[in-house]
Amino acid sequence: MSSAAFDTIVAPATPVGRSALAVVRIDGPRTSAIIDTLTGGPSDQRIAVHRYLNHNGELLDDCVVVRYVAPHSFTGNDLAELTLHGNPLLVERVIAAAVELGARIAEPGEFTERAVLNGKLDLVQAESIADLIAARTTLQAKLSLTNLRGALSTKAQGIRESLLFVISRLEAALDFSEEGYDFISRAEARAKIEEAIAACRSISDTWRRGRATTAGLSLVILGRPNAGKSTLLNRLVGSERAIVTPIPGTTRDIVRETIEIGGLPVTIADTAGLRESSDVVEGIGIERAREAAAGADIVLYLIDATSGRTAEDERELATLDEPLLVWTKNDLAPAPGLAISAKTDAGVSELLARLDALVRDQFAVPESSATIVNERQRQAITACEQSLEVALQSLDAGYEEPIVVVDLYRASNALGVLTGAITNDDILTEIFSKFCIGK
Amino acid sequence: MFHVERMEQRFDIVVIGGGHAGAEAARVAARGGAKVALVTMLREAIGRMSCNPAIGGLAKGNLVKEIDALGGLMGEATDRAGIQFKVLNRSKGPAVQGPRAQCDRDIYAATVLELLEQEPNLTIVESAVTSLLHDGKAVRGALLQDETRLNARAVIVTTGTFLRALMHSGEVKTAGGRFGEPSAETLSDSLRALGLQLGRLKTGTPPRILRDSVDFSKMEEAPGDAVPRPFSIITDRIPLPQVLCHLTYTGTEAHELIRANLHRAPMYSGQIAAAGPRYCPSIEDKVVRFADKERHQVFVEPEGLQHPWLYLNGISTSLPPDVQDGVVRSLAGFEHAVIARYGYAVEYDFVNPEQLEPTLAVRDVDGLYLAGQINGTSGYEEAAAQGLLAGLNALQLVRDREPVILRRDEAYAGVMIDDLVTLGTTEPYRMFTSRAEHRLLLGCDSVYERLSPIAARLGVLDGERKRRVDGRQERVTRARDLSLNTFLTPDRETVVLLDGMELSISEKSSVAKLLQRPDFNLTRFLDTVSLPGLRAAFEALNEEETEAVVSRLRYSGYIERQEREAAKLSQDEAVAIPAGISYALPGLSREMVEKLSFVRPVSLGQASRIPGVTPAAIAILRMHIRRGVRAAS
Repeated sequence: MSSAAFDTIVAPATPVGRSALAVVRIDGPRTSAIIDTLTGGPSDQRIAVHRYLNHNGELLDDCVVVRYVAPHSFTGNDLAELTLHGNPLLVERVIAAAVELGARIAEPGEFTERAVLNGKLDLVQAESIADLIAARTTLQAKLSLTNLRGALSTKAQGIRESLLFVISRLEAALDFSEEGYDFISRAEARAKIEEAIAACRSISDTWRRGRATTAGLSLVILGRPNAGKSTLLNRLVGSERAIVTPIPGTTRDIVRETIEIGGLPVTIADTAGLRESSDVVEGIGIERAREAAAGADIVLYLIDATSGRTAEDERELATLDEPLLVWTKNDLAPAPGLAISAKTDAGVSELLARLDALVRDQFAVPESSATIVNERQRQAITACEQSLEVALQSLDAGYEEPIVVVDLYRASNALGVLTGAITNDDILTEIFSKFCIGK
Repeated sequence: MFHVERMEQRFDIVVIGGGHAGAEAARVAARGGAKVALVTMLREAIGRMSCNPAIGGLAKGNLVKEIDALGGLMGEATDRAGIQFKVLNRSKGPAVQGPRAQCDRDIYAATVLELLEQEPNLTIVESAVTSLLHDGKAVRGALLQDETRLNARAVIVTTGTFLRALMHSGEVKTAGGRFGEPSAETLSDSLRALGLQLGRLKTGTPPRILRDSVDFSKMEEAPGDAVPRPFSIITDRIPLPQVLCHLTYTGTEAHELIRANLHRAPMYSGQIAAAGPRYCPSIEDKVVRFADKERHQVFVEPEGLQHPWLYLNGISTSLPPDVQDGVVRSLAGFEHAVIARYGYAVEYDFVNPEQLEPTLAVRDVDGLYLAGQINGTSGYEEAAAQGLLAGLNALQLVRDREPVILRRDEAYAGVMIDDLVTLGTTEPYRMFTSRAEHRLLLGCDSVYERLSPIAARLGVLDGERKRRVDGRQERVTRARDLSLNTFLTPDRETVVLLDGMELSISEKSSVAKLLQRPDFNLTRFLDTVSLPGLRAAFEALNEEETEAVVSRLRYSGYIERQEREAAKLSQDEAVAIPAGISYALPGLSREMVEKLSFVRPVSLGQASRIPGVTPAAIAILRMHIRRGVRAAS
């Protein structure tokens, strides 16, 4: 097989979660084209360059791009590593952009597999890398993902079996149509397929919780200048992380810290106070605050109890989706709702309890439920669901069984990818399945 | 001391057996220019239908069409002997439609013999082969029972169920492969001596009934198609008159009788241990395994136009004669039936086909090929398709040319042979459409397009067939292209015209696009719209060709998607595994080494289909091959 037989893959190379930096790796023939599109420039001869990444006119991040030209790379193919800021949301958006530009999400261990296939690593080396990674993730794991994955496989397996039930009957109707049996009616097949679609949906619906479990949550503190955002951050974090002054507009860029709430890592972002500003730097900060809020799992909107809800507050609140309102400076003025005084600590433990309940209720994964925890699984379940939809359309359009089953086979194969029970040999090999995505 | 002059004859290829595999193998090799001897124990048994008097059916019909497209004889013989034609699965789309024909068994066998006798390069030798001549590495020919040596570069063994065959009827056991015909007792030893592993399989037949002893008015009629569709492109019309088949059913009486006598059935008494086909259970099996089913269908097939017997398809059995009498007489219409021959089961040796190459050659024995039931298959069509491919490969061998291996996305025959040599079999292997993952590409309607060019290249497609294949291709392509390139615009006149046919278009549409609509009526359309070119193109087609054009256009999206998937999968088929490879590779478990060494796949693709061979093992194998390639270059 020549290297031309490889397609282009993308995946995070660093563990999913909050960190200072995150590396995304792209490998394959389209690597250069994707990087050029994202950086808006032609191939740069230099090895490492600082670049802004834009996609569809939207700024993703600024990052360091490191290019390796075939065969001088880890995999032996054209490869690039993007060192981004360590925010899972950013990583996801960059990966989504790469996928839109022609890459696909890498299977577990696929980069290493490519390295082995190109003769860059031998199997023993590859296996020791796998062991190393496995050991590290074991130490890091705070939640028993094996249990979760077991439950997911079981559920996926269940859908697959009911699909195979339909397929086998449709097949029987084709290969034994002279035997005088009614193997399955179209209505029955239809009902079974719809059942499987519903089951797929119930799995894809777990994505939000599953992602939260592995990637953590983002909480953004918003509010007008001097509402007490930085004070609250410092209070929650337990250290003087953000600079606090009485001067409005002190916080200009986003300040982030991660704490544990409800058993999950929650990254709290303190943002620039929202106001009309003629200061260019502050203006960028405010823009970033709004962006952060748009991508956040939880938004705390702080209102200064001494000044009450202003027209500006109302305007901001109208753009937010179910923010949690918190009244601050409760020591100085009474408040109508959840209120704190960071100065006296009044209300802070109540706020934490509220957040704890919120996280547990909306984001924590119920014990041993079938949950998808990464993008690869999400894609697999989506592919299965889409194939089932096509099969249903074929059925409804009056297509014959041989046409209908084509998409049922595809659906069951997609599920096979999800459960790891792979039959399509060019996707995955067992030995590499021990690897986490991107390594 | 005196010296006996040994008889000796020289051929290119010796075919042992004159059944459906042997007949195809011998004829195609002879047509390709090889000097061929076909050895049969009984000349008039050539082309004999040992089981039911029908050819084709689901998936099997596709095999017959493939044989025809590749220049084989089964389709032609069927057309000449057919007395009821029916396309099965008509309502289920072109990919799974299977033509079937009831045949006059005597006329069928006579036709096959006649076709073989017409071949100038083919000699029929009436004798039995006692052993293979070989030096352990290459086959040299065959030794006949009269000590005659038939020397040849290649030998094709197509002995069907005759290897150490044992017939069971109730408690009675008789050596023999077919009623009244002897078993081939010693050939098994020859094969074993070459290191081949043999297994044992079982198959069964139902009782045959005297036609004059039954009352058809008590049965359901089962007619064929009003207009019989021939199998072969060489056939212009079906010569024989067409007849009815009938349906009847077993009931409580028969089931109780069978249950009461189960201990006398060889399959249940333990007399037969070999595996029978799950898809074709004996009536005693059906009664036991589907105890809640109140009746089982019996398809009553005439054995021929004049033949005095009927074949009771659906109640194959090895129960003792007195029980068979009772069961048969319990069927509606059979109250006074006379059984002409009782049903029986046959046990026989077969060669585990994983020991064959995809050419059907025995590995490590140059020039030895096996085809048909000896490879663990069931059915005339499966046997014939293997015979044809073995014949073609033997022909290529004696001509020192490239072997012929059909891909899984190219022919059902390719699927079957790949399944056999890769997966092996534990029951008599039968072709099913569901075995073909690229089924949409393997419809009968595309068979000449797919396979005839191969036969032409190999020089086994005669001039008349080639002319007809080319003509068909030209007509079909013209109609297809015109459909794609003729457009209708939604101007007022056209809209009104189409409205009369309850058709509507909102934008410029090709006729091909309109054909994709499920309710589109082509005849009416061509009658209404003035498109003389298109109309002429379709009028040049026969019914089958029209269906081929319409279905190709109607299913084009699905077909093209399957073509892409097949192309993707075929990447690994192109990665050849060196013939002499040692599987003792670092990282391969002993189980993997054993599996791979037994099957010895020719490509990475084939290796990946071996049951139990893990993706990890494939990855190791892939690396090893790549390293080897790199080291060589």
